[in-house]
Amino acid sequence: MKITVAVSGINTIDNPGPGAGICRALKESGMDIRTIGLAYDALEPGIYLDHIIDKSDIMPYPSGSREAFIERIKDIHAKEKIDVIISALDAELPIYMDIEPVLEEIGIKMLIPTKEMFRTRDKLRLKELAEKIGVKAPEYISCASTTDLHNAVDKLEFPCMVKGPFYEAYKAYTIGEAESYFTKIAMAWGYPIIVQKFIEGDEYDVIGCGDGKGNDMGVFAIRKMTITKLGKVWNAVSVRNERLIEATKKVVKGLSWRGGFEFEVLLENKTQEIYVLEINPRFPAWVYFPAGCGINLPARMVQFLTGQKYESHSDYKSGKLMIRYTNELVKDIKDFEKISTFGES
Amino acid sequence: MDRDKLSVLAVSDSGFIFDPVTGHSYTANATGLKILELLKAGKELDEIKSALTDEFDASEDEVSVDINDFIENLKKYFLI
Repeated sequence: MKITVAVSGINTIDNPGPGAGICRALKESGMDIRTIGLAYDALEPGIYLDHIIDKSDIMPYPSGSREAFIERIKDIHAKEKIDVIISALDAELPIYMDIEPVLEEIGIKMLIPTKEMFRTRDKLRLKELAEKIGVKAPEYISCASTTDLHNAVDKLEFPCMVKGPFYEAYKAYTIGEAESYFTKIAMAWGYPIIVQKFIEGDEYDVIGCGDGKGNDMGVFAIRKMTITKLGKVWNAVSVRNERLIEATKKVVKGLSWRGGFEFEVLLENKTQEIYVLEINPRFPAWVYFPAGCGINLPARMVQFLTGQKYESHSDYKSGKLMIRYTNELVKDIKDFEKISTFGES
Repeated sequence: MDRDKLSVLAVSDSGFIFDPVTGHSYTANATGLKILELLKAGKELDEIKSALTDEFDASEDEVSVDINDFIENLKKYFLI
């Protein structure tokens, strides 16, 4: 059975989207899958990765008209007969949450969080979430002005973390640094800015996928070995930390999580206590790593959505290393001409 | 001493130690590697002292200092 899966987030840039990793995992799953890349710009590298993405289409921005977004998907669907869409960008999730019933009617399936789940994992509700799943949350204060920032650092003291509402996080040692990061993040991502107590420890991530009924389709944990300036994992090692796995399963069960996610935590050096930092409501950019270690979550998601049997085990080896690298492709200007003129590759 | 934690540590002949729970890795010298192997084999401190005294031709006092230092380091890194 041939299955057509459309995947967004194919921007494999310095702040990489998960789309290319999802497509690679699907292509290596053994299933007969045609992958369609949903891009927002003609230079998103995924458009040119012919070995994992069969065709790409340019989408209207999700912040624009809801009708235009639906019409574009219907237009692509008329040509490609899409079975499943895997949304891999935070910014487009709200619109997909709105239009999922419309897509369902025309035969396109998705596995994404509900609006309530999306709100629960908001960075400003971390404490509530931590209590729900039995871990700790670092103390934090939400700021909308420099006065708020001054009050926050007085209370939380230095060093502290200054974090954006969507991306970027910096460690500040002085009020000068805190103000500079505050302004930089506000200009890029807007408000609120979160000032968080700094906790000495190591950062770990767990990837998983929930079926919406409290069951997980497998989880996989890593320790971040190196991260980029934007806080994105660049190299990682797989770990088997049962307390972490247990906390992740509580996330899936406690929230009846629906879809892919990334559970970001910190293990405090002194106490080894787990602190929740964030839950990203989609697969992370390193989604291929678990697939390469036998936990192919995009494939399991597609199998679940298309009514096929799927594995849900989390049997993987610790000590597997992920090395991310950069690469260059040589393509013809005609490839760019096609996607930029006609909106499809 | 956390024998369960000790049992999951991956220790190679080169002295490379990998903790599968935290993902941290370390390197031990020949003496450290020997102590770790004996701890993993369930040996008590007196047995380790005796084994090291024989193998490295050192006095009991010297060996005791090394063993205690090494064990303190293992504790510091939550390895035992």
